[in-house]
Amino acid sequence: MSLTEIVITFLLGFGFGWALDKAGLTKYHKIVNVFRFTDLAVLKFMLSAMVTGMIGIYGLKWLGLVQLTPATPTYIVGNFIGGLIFGVGMAGAGF
Amino acid sequence: MKGIVEYMRKEEWSPYAAGILLGFVVIFSLLLTGNLPGSSAAFENLAATVGRHVAAPNNIYFVPQEVRGTTIQPIYPAGFTWQVILLIGVFFGAMGSALAAGKFIGWRRSVPDVDRQWRAIFGPERWKRWVIAFIGGVVLEFAAGIAGGCTSGLAISGGVQLAPAAFIFVAGMFISGIPTAYLIYRRRF
Repeated sequence: MSLTEIVITFLLGFGFGWALDKAGLTKYHKIVNVFRFTDLAVLKFMLSAMVTGMIGIYGLKWLGLVQLTPATPTYIVGNFIGGLIFGVGMAGAGF
Repeated sequence: MKGIVEYMRKEEWSPYAAGILLGFVVIFSLLLTGNLPGSSAAFENLAATVGRHVAAPNNIYFVPQEVRGTTIQPIYPAGFTWQVILLIGVFFGAMGSALAAGKFIGWRRSVPDVDRQWRAIFGPERWKRWVIAFIGGVVLEFAAGIAGGCTSGLAISGGVQLAPAAFIFVAGMFISGIPTAYLIYRRRF
């Protein structure tokens, strides 16, 4: 990996962490409360990121500037059971 | 300009605004690096590095593709990958945001008013937070390994490409997360 790539990757990560913290998702109660329906910040954050990302990525793909990466394969049992265990960890740890 | 600085120093943004920022991170990530962000894989890469050197030097799941010279992609390639650098960036990004807002706690022992909800349920002891966070982290990473990603790598990066796996994963996450939170809290707080 070249130095430019490392710097770009670091800056992307920096933006990622900054966004997470500004949305308050570095706090225990924000994560737990989405499962109690008392604070939906996690969903608001995730879904607005997904909508923005989808529009941008499909727009760039339409312009021929990017190629989609191979996404995680659909393996219903694995994806679902993984999700089930993940939910327990997420609600317990608050991360 | 002064407005921008003030906005950056705010403790919290609207989650929609922060989400849009993450959306742009995702777009620029694909445009500039050809990868989509994820965080669980970084831990897998680091764990595989340790596992490979300590326990299993020839395990096909740990050894990077270019080293083995075969076409089978290892599940958790060992090494200092793109994801690891991204994760380091996430760490400093969140720290930078906390510092800019003046809410950085660091190693100070007692922090009144932070984690009020946690204290109401589990009490004021610090070690409990560390133990439960650690156990939860193990569960999270194990689950991310099974599912093929975490909330960022699978749900968001998969979701923006409309991968069905992302939506199955999020459904599972809520189906188990809601009863877990209920068991912890019941009617308290």
